[in-house]
Amino acid sequence: MSTVSLAQFHQTFFDESHEGLDAMETALLALDGGGDKELVHGIFRAAHSIKGGAATFGFPDMAAFTHEAESLLDELRDGRRAVDAGIVELLLRSVDCLRGMFARAQAGQPLADAASEALRHELAAVVGRSLAPAAAPARRSDDASTGWAISFRPHQGMLAGGNDALRLLRELGELGELKAEAELDRLPGLGALDPSECHLGWRLELRGDVSRAAVKGVFDWVEDECDLTLEPLPGAEVHHAPAAAAPAAAAAPIAAKAAAREAVAAESSVRVGIDKIDSLINLVGELVITQSMLDTFREDFDASRLEMLQQGLAQLARHTRTLQESVMGIRMLPIASVFNRFPRMVRDLGQKLGKQVRLDLVGEQTELDKTVLEKIGDPLVHLVRNAIDHGLETPDRRRAAGKGDIGTLRLEASHRNGSIVVEISDDGAGLNREAIVAKALQRGLIASGEGMTDEAVADLIFQPGFSTAAVTTDLSGRGVGMDVVRRNVVDLGGSIQIRSVAGQGSVFTITLPLTLAIIDGLTAMVGGEHYIVPLASIVETVQLRGEQLRTVTGGGELFHFRDSWLPVLRLQDAFACGGTRRAIEQGLVVVVEGDGARVGLFVDELVGQQQAVVKSLEANYRRVIGISGATILADGSVALIVDVAGLSRQMTRRRAA
Amino acid sequence: MGKAKTDKADGRVALPADCRIADLATVKAALEAALSAPAAVLDGGMVERVDTAALQLLAVFRREAAARGVAVEWRGASDVLRDGAARLGLTQTLELPAATPA
Repeated sequence: MSTVSLAQFHQTFFDESHEGLDAMETALLALDGGGDKELVHGIFRAAHSIKGGAATFGFPDMAAFTHEAESLLDELRDGRRAVDAGIVELLLRSVDCLRGMFARAQAGQPLADAASEALRHELAAVVGRSLAPAAAPARRSDDASTGWAISFRPHQGMLAGGNDALRLLRELGELGELKAEAELDRLPGLGALDPSECHLGWRLELRGDVSRAAVKGVFDWVEDECDLTLEPLPGAEVHHAPAAAAPAAAAAPIAAKAAAREAVAAESSVRVGIDKIDSLINLVGELVITQSMLDTFREDFDASRLEMLQQGLAQLARHTRTLQESVMGIRMLPIASVFNRFPRMVRDLGQKLGKQVRLDLVGEQTELDKTVLEKIGDPLVHLVRNAIDHGLETPDRRRAAGKGDIGTLRLEASHRNGSIVVEISDDGAGLNREAIVAKALQRGLIASGEGMTDEAVADLIFQPGFSTAAVTTDLSGRGVGMDVVRRNVVDLGGSIQIRSVAGQGSVFTITLPLTLAIIDGLTAMVGGEHYIVPLASIVETVQLRGEQLRTVTGGGELFHFRDSWLPVLRLQDAFACGGTRRAIEQGLVVVVEGDGARVGLFVDELVGQQQAVVKSLEANYRRVIGISGATILADGSVALIVDVAGLSRQMTRRRAA
Repeated sequence: MGKAKTDKADGRVALPADCRIADLATVKAALEAALSAPAAVLDGGMVERVDTAALQLLAVFRREAAARGVAVEWRGASDVLRDGAARLGLTQTLELPAATPA
């Protein structure tokens, strides 16, 4: 049998197995709370399929591993063994281990490692069999049974970015026995030292059965802010195959990064339900019929058949629109794939922090664009971690506050006004207004906290200056600030709001566009050119009189809008397209909101509202500041889409400079 | 929040309770001042929070003191401080006392 011919099915096998693993995990978590036989059957079936697939597609290590898990599941299924917390824990770890194996399979790396081997033996031991080491699959140089030698050199700016090396090493120390040796050779003298820069480096030895992925996981957030190399510690159990060992070791420093990239590339496929495909084929069939009907007009057409022609064209328009919607629908996936990771995470975090958390997931079937889906995962994880770490209280504190022991964390997704809304709410302590105001004062973000509304105070935690260093460990525990969360959401064309009531909890509301491929926009003329302003960012359009405009030092213009003064940004200047209408009365001001700031865009006139299919300017030309893409208008000309957040960021920078 | 203080006469520096990146400018100034005394005394007994930047600053200080021949003595070191130094492999560089008397 040729493995080459089977390779084409690997992706499908991976996709299916990922679903199987997700199902296993969900069922195991349900089992944890006392489940029934049917759950065990489901878990067994998923494990069995993975084992079969692994054997068929040439992944013997994975098949061997799954075999042991299956044996244990078989005993549970037959009632020979009762389900207890220990077994569930072991099987959950097996699911994690299999995920690691799949990641390595996709990256073309050896599947088994020290951790997976140890777990395989553990599984076998539970079912009362001991495995001879010889029966273990041939080890590769990558499998360190004893641990890892890690060289960790943070870049100078890592600490200032809020990532404390001490926290990372503490996390690493939880994985195994960690020995740290500081490299002091780059330390400057006391006079030359900027305390916020990092000049230290570390040689680390981590002993224990730890997978490469677990070690890399600790450094996930600082990947671009440090030089990191990982090499397996030489151990007695590791049999080096001399030919393979050298290149593998040499490749180690970059392997993990390459793997991450490959994994991203490998996952860029969508599994589409057959019903969606069928409806597409159906629609294309309708289009062909309409087209052949319209074709008849080419040969003989007279005015008497005008009505039929109009009908035909209307039909064509209708089918095209439906086809467009269906094609967009292919990219739409339920948010469940993101939500599914939370039950496990919440359980683990709750245990670690000694908090009791009930997780409510609502609206898991809400569909959104695959690109949006992929990018919303990290911000959501961050918010959920925050909510458990800092929002929800420990049981005794909850009792003291007159609440039940168990805190509730609720994730809800829904469609609202053509957008996707994801809400993360908890019934914890809420934001600490005094602490935030004190921190903001200290950081110089505000001059005084008096008279600030609760919303304005809450908004402070999204400010970049707020989440540097010392603060982040207090607020997030991961060293990545809320400003990054907001930026990720804004990059997706969305927005994030926060409501919090002291003692009752906080609600984070993320609003996202349904898709990134089509936007609703307002077409505006500036100096004879068409520009499209995304409708989602528009607050209002106003016509100003000359006396409403104030000029400030430095040439900036301001106008009064709903109790505040907003800057005017003349698009003709920003895009240098030389409009002739200079007086404010001659044009219109479109008030837009982006990146938390409002700006008035001055345009010549508005043409109308339209849907624009976004074409990447970066892919077809190059990146232009203030422009997020382009679209083709009905007459074939190109209109540029205004990047509101980018423009307002640029404006702030220019003002600061 | 206690700020880092130096008494110029005896080069004594008391590290603040929150000894982290945001508040290190004052600590650094205090440490620099302490180097002009014949001997420096560090009091880390009050440290409740510490981070890499702070420990790095202390390491740089110890090296600078050694280079200038200024003796440095610890008057106290909290568990947090000692734990942080140990994790970063800086216990020896900082010459921290093994344990503080209760």
